[in-house]
Amino acid sequence: MKKISMFIPCLVDLVLPHIGENSVTILRHLDCEPIYHPEQTCCGLMSFNSGFRDEARRLARHFIRVFENDELIVSPSGSCVNMVKNRYSDLFEDDPAWRRRAADLAPRVYELSQFIVDHLGVAQLGGSYPARVAYHESCSTLNALGVSAQPKTLIRSVEGAELVELTGADICCGFGGTFANSFPEISTALVRQKTAYFLESGADVLVMCDPGCLLNIRGYLDRYHPDRKAVHIADFLADSLRGKAREAS
Amino acid sequence: MKITTERFKQTALEELDNSHTQKFLEILPLRLAARRNEAYESFPDPVAAHDYGHSIRDEAIQRLPELLETFETNAVANGAQVFWAADSKAANDYIVRLARRKGVGYVTKGKSMVTEELGLNEALAAAGIDAWETDLGEFITQLLQRPPFHIVGPALNIPVQQICDIFMEKGVIDSPTVDPVELGMAARRFLRDRFRDLEMGITGVNIAVAETGTVINVENEGNIRLNKSSPRTLVCVMSLEKVVPTIVDAMHMLRVLCRSATGQSASAYMSLDSGPKRPDEIDGPEEMHIIILDNGRSAMYQDPRTREALRCIRCGACLNSCPVYGKVGGYPYGWAYSGPMGQVLTPALQGLRDTGDLVRACTLCHRCKNICPAGIDHPSLLLYYRAKDVAGDKTLGGSGGRWGERLVHKLYSVAGSDHRLWRIFSTMARLAANSQRKGERIRSIPIGARGWFSSRNLPALPRKRFRDRWIDIERDKER
Repeated sequence: MKKISMFIPCLVDLVLPHIGENSVTILRHLDCEPIYHPEQTCCGLMSFNSGFRDEARRLARHFIRVFENDELIVSPSGSCVNMVKNRYSDLFEDDPAWRRRAADLAPRVYELSQFIVDHLGVAQLGGSYPARVAYHESCSTLNALGVSAQPKTLIRSVEGAELVELTGADICCGFGGTFANSFPEISTALVRQKTAYFLESGADVLVMCDPGCLLNIRGYLDRYHPDRKAVHIADFLADSLRGKAREAS
Repeated sequence: MKITTERFKQTALEELDNSHTQKFLEILPLRLAARRNEAYESFPDPVAAHDYGHSIRDEAIQRLPELLETFETNAVANGAQVFWAADSKAANDYIVRLARRKGVGYVTKGKSMVTEELGLNEALAAAGIDAWETDLGEFITQLLQRPPFHIVGPALNIPVQQICDIFMEKGVIDSPTVDPVELGMAARRFLRDRFRDLEMGITGVNIAVAETGTVINVENEGNIRLNKSSPRTLVCVMSLEKVVPTIVDAMHMLRVLCRSATGQSASAYMSLDSGPKRPDEIDGPEEMHIIILDNGRSAMYQDPRTREALRCIRCGACLNSCPVYGKVGGYPYGWAYSGPMGQVLTPALQGLRDTGDLVRACTLCHRCKNICPAGIDHPSLLLYYRAKDVAGDKTLGGSGGRWGERLVHKLYSVAGSDHRLWRIFSTMARLAANSQRKGERIRSIPIGARGWFSSRNLPALPRKRFRDRWIDIERDKER
C-alpha cells in the first residue's frame, strides 16, 4: 500500500475538517495508506500573499521540516499546493540551502484530484451521486497547477452525476485570501456573479478543488441562497462512495 | 494627467455603482478575450508563438542598454533626431520648445499611453498650443476630459448618446445622431481639417527596431499614419522598453500584439518609419524627432524583479482577462495604465506610497500571467511589491505595514512554528469566533473581518479539528 502523507491546510484543519476526513476516505478506497503528521500547521500562504515574508519563511521552514522525508504528499487544496510547489522558490530566493530543500520537496506534492488521476492513474472511483454537477475552476488549481481535466474526469466517472456547463467557470470567485476582506465590494461582486452563473446552470451542486473558494462561495450561498449546495471535490467523491455503498446494501 | 492611484477604492466603489459601467463590463472584456483566443488559434502552433514572444521580450529587456544605443545610432543614421528624456518634464519641455521654434498653433496626436503618462496635452495647453487627439477614442475622452478606460480602447465604455451630446456641444456635428458610423465620419471630417495643414504631429511607438532604427505603429483608424505622414515635423515618443533587436523580432511581436490586443491577425494599419523624408523622396515629414523616455525606468531596470514589468507591450490582454478589471474598469487604477499591466508598472514608476491598494487589488488568479504575450508574471510581481511595502523598502517607499497586521502575522507565524502552540492558538481562535455564533453559523464578529461578513457567513468552527479527528480515524482503522 502506498503511504500518502496528508497535507491538511490550516483552513481545513480548523474550519472544514470534513474535507480532510473525506480525502482520507477516498485515498483508503484507492488502497492507499494515508498518514498524518500532527506537527503540521500552515504552509505560510496567507503571510506570503500579504507580503509578510519573514513570517512566511518561518512557517515554510516548519512545513519543510515536517514533510521533507515523505515520498508522496497530497493536499485537498490547489492554492496550498501551489504555494509549496511554486512559491517557496521565491520565498527562499536569498537562502540557497532552504531553497534547495524546498525544490527537493516540490515535485512530491500533489493536489488531491491530480494525484488520483495523474499519479495513481485512476479515472473512475466507482461511486454514485445522482445529480447535475457544475464544476468551478479554482484559480490556483487551473491557472497555476494546470489541473482541470482531472477533477472533471472524476466527476464524470461518478454514476448518475451529470457534469453541466457553467458559464464563467474559470473566472475567479473573488476569494483571493485577504482580498475578500480588504476589497469586500469587488469580492462580493465576483462571488455574486459566480453564484448567478451557478444558479443559471441548473446544477444541483457546485464542486471545486479549493477550500478557500468553498469558504467564500458557500459563505455567500448560506447568506443569500441557503438552499443551494457547494461542496469540495473530496466531499463530493466521498459522498458518491457512500452513496454506492448504500445502494449495495 | 492627474494621478489618482490613492483613490483606488473610492473610484472602484463608484464604478461598481455605475450601472452603465457594469452592463458594459459584463460583455466587452469577455468578448475581447474570446476574440483573442480565436485569433491565437490561427497560429500554426499557438503555444510556440506565445513562448517565442516571451523570449523576444526577454532578450530585449536583458540587452536593453545596448539595444537602445544601437537603435539611436541607426535612427540618427536614418536622419532622425533622438532625444533622451530623463523625465516627463524634459520630454514635455523638448516638445513645447520644438513647437514654439516651428511656430505652430496646434499639434495632432496619435493614440499613445506614453503621452498620457507625460501629461503632454496639459503641458502643451499651458504653452498655448492646442493638442488634438485624432484617435476616435482618445478624441472622445479628450472632449469629455476623462481618463482612458482601457489602454487599447480609451472610450470603449462611453455610451453613444454621450458621444452625440459632446460632439454637438463641441461643434463636431450639426444635428444629433446616435449612429456610430455617422459619428465616426463626423469625427473623421472634423479631424481631417487638422491634418490638412499640419505642421507637427505627435505619436507614440509600439515597437522600435534596434538594427534598422525603425519605429513601428499599429492602429485601425489610419490617424497615426496621417500623423506620421502629413506634418512637416514628426515627433515619436517611446518609453525606453519598446525596443527589440531585429526586424524579424518586430514582425513576430506584431503578430502576437495584434492578436492579443484586438483579436486581429494584423491590424488595419502598420506604419514602419525609418527617418524623415529623404532628398529623393516626394513626401513625408521633413524632420523626425524620436524621444526616448526614461521617467523612472532606469531605476526600475536596476532591480531584476521590477525590470520584468518592462517586458510589457501594451496589448491590454491582461485587462480583458482580469476579474477585478472586469468589475471596476479602468478608472480606479488612477493613471495611464490600468488592469494588471498598470498594477505592475505604476508602483515601479510612482513608488508604493500611493499604490498600496493597487498592488493588493488582485486575487492572484494568474489569468494575466497566462495570457501575457510578453511573459510577465504579474502575480509574482504584485507579491514582490507587497513584500517591499511591508518591509518598508526605501527605494520604492514602502509603508512598513500597519502595526495591527504586523502583530497578527507575527503571532500567527510563531504559533505556526510549533504544533503545541498552534493547538492553543487555534483553540483560542475558535472560542473567540464561536462566541458570536448563531446556531451553525457566524454572521458577524465585533472586531475585524467586516469586509468578509459584509456578504458572507462563516460556518461555526467545529470543536474537533482535523488533527483531533485523525485520532478517531486511526482508531477506527484498527478496529
